Amino acid sequence: MNQPITDASDFAQTAIPQLTQLDKLLRCHICKEFLRVPVLTPCGHTFCSLCIRQYLRQDPKCPLCLNELRESSLRSEFLVGEIVEIHKSSRQALLDILKEYSRTESKGDSPLIELGSQSDADDDIQILATTDRKSLRPSTIGSSVNRVTKLTGVRSLLKNHNEGNKSKQHMAQCPICEQFYPIEALERTHLDECLTVQSLGGQPGSKTSERKAPSPVPRKPSPPKTVQYKHNEDNDTSSHVERYINSSNSGDRQRLPKVTFASMSVAQIKQKLASLGLPVNGTKQTMIARYDQYEMLWNSNFCDAIEPVDVNELKRQLLSWETTQNNHGSSNIGGISSMMKRANGSKPYQKLLADFKNDKFERKSWIQMFRQDFKSLVKEARRQLIKETTNEIESQKDNTEETVKTQS
Amino acid sequence: MASLPKRIIKETERLVSDPVPGITAEPHEDNLRYFQVTIEGPQQSPYENGVFNLELFLPDDYPMEAPKVRFLTKIYHPNIDKLGRICLDVLKTNWSPALQIRTVLLSVQALLASPNPNDPLANDVAEDWIKDEEGAIKTAREWTEAYASKKDQKSTN
Repeated sequence: MNQPITDASDFAQTAIPQLTQLDKLLRCHICKEFLRVPVLTPCGHTFCSLCIRQYLRQDPKCPLCLNELRESSLRSEFLVGEIVEIHKSSRQALLDILKEYSRTESKGDSPLIELGSQSDADDDIQILATTDRKSLRPSTIGSSVNRVTKLTGVRSLLKNHNEGNKSKQHMAQCPICEQFYPIEALERTHLDECLTVQSLGGQPGSKTSERKAPSPVPRKPSPPKTVQYKHNEDNDTSSHVERYINSSNSGDRQRLPKVTFASMSVAQIKQKLASLGLPVNGTKQTMIARYDQYEMLWNSNFCDAIEPVDVNELKRQLLSWETTQNNHGSSNIGGISSMMKRANGSKPYQKLLADFKNDKFERKSWIQMFRQDFKSLVKEARRQLIKETTNEIESQKDNTEETVKTQS
Repeated sequence: MASLPKRIIKETERLVSDPVPGITAEPHEDNLRYFQVTIEGPQQSPYENGVFNLELFLPDDYPMEAPKVRFLTKIYHPNIDKLGRICLDVLKTNWSPALQIRTVLLSVQALLASPNPNDPLANDVAEDWIKDEEGAIKTAREWTEAYASKKDQKSTN
């Protein structure tokens, strides 16, 4: 809940728009978030363990291809899980670097790239470069990578001319990898890195080749940042690789079975819950829901997760699930019923309510009638929003849930 | 289910920032699960040049359960009844949580382009459609003109 909302389209306007697809592929098709404890179906599709288990309770088929699918045929997919983790941990750094990169680029040749796609008239260069750059960027930057190589004739001349003054003289060739870098960056970090790579006898690995790619373009040096990201990445990589290699699904814990509660008495259900160490309060329905949720958490954790958490953590999750369920019920019913009580006596309200469920229901008058209440709810929500910015989504929810009731 | 899931927030953001051509969907300011939708009639269909208002509601169980979609603008179509209810597989049996608001609305738009009188919801319309397709299409065009022309858009809302 506290994490910011990210979307694959974050990459669409960077220099490497293909990353949009990678980002999208690593997301669950049910919750649209990065896959959490991914599982593979026999039909070859991957979902979060909890998402698909929850859906299969309603409908035993694959959400993507609609083939029949049973919970028991799900298999964990550790590799994908680890890839997702690495992507998640490096995603922001990657975005930052790409942003930095395109900003530097826009100082040099980017206006010309935009010119290439927008207009052929030389006179327009300055105008485009100075005034319209912002509005043009989204549509052009996505394909700028391809365009860099396509610059020909006048444009490439112009490009050289522009760059020549500004940056050519600040560039220098690295004696080791023979690529051009800004002198400052070369002196500060690049030489060391290149030497290290060489002394390790390593082939130019992914990192060096990544650095090579943008070399013809002047790159703004941002050495400390880059180095730090690299460190993180290295640490993560080794631990994820190790975790994957050492993973195995021997499962020393048994799968929790599905229980048909229909034929059971309350006492029997209580016994069942007690044997698992779960609370036995609440109505029959509450207890059944509790068991089902716990069974799902349990199986997802012990059958699918690469590093299962212990039973106490599961119980904590169950408890927090139950609290969210209850909270929303009680707090909102209070709000709604007080709203209703006040309006209850009035005739227009009765009239509106009569049509509540059919086609003649006048939504507008209804909203008008409760306008004050809606407003105060919104106000309340806003105040909470300021108070605890992290709980942003929560406060919207309260607001929403109340109105759901009045409208549906 | 208790909270407004991230998925809904994300879908809403995407609908606003990157809208589907010919379709708009805006959440109601008082209820973020309730959307006011407009769909433009597909070209070369009897609904061409019409703008249809719909409402879309995301139930508590969404995305495990399909969104509820209903036409608010009157429309002459064999798979849409007087109350605006829509007979569409992805809204009923073929719903899947991998679908989303965007895809559902595209399906509705596609339904306008290809009415299916063999699986009717509005029986009278479907009968007309089978008996006299040309006449039915003409009626559909007239209704579009009468109820869904762009000028009328606000009054039907």
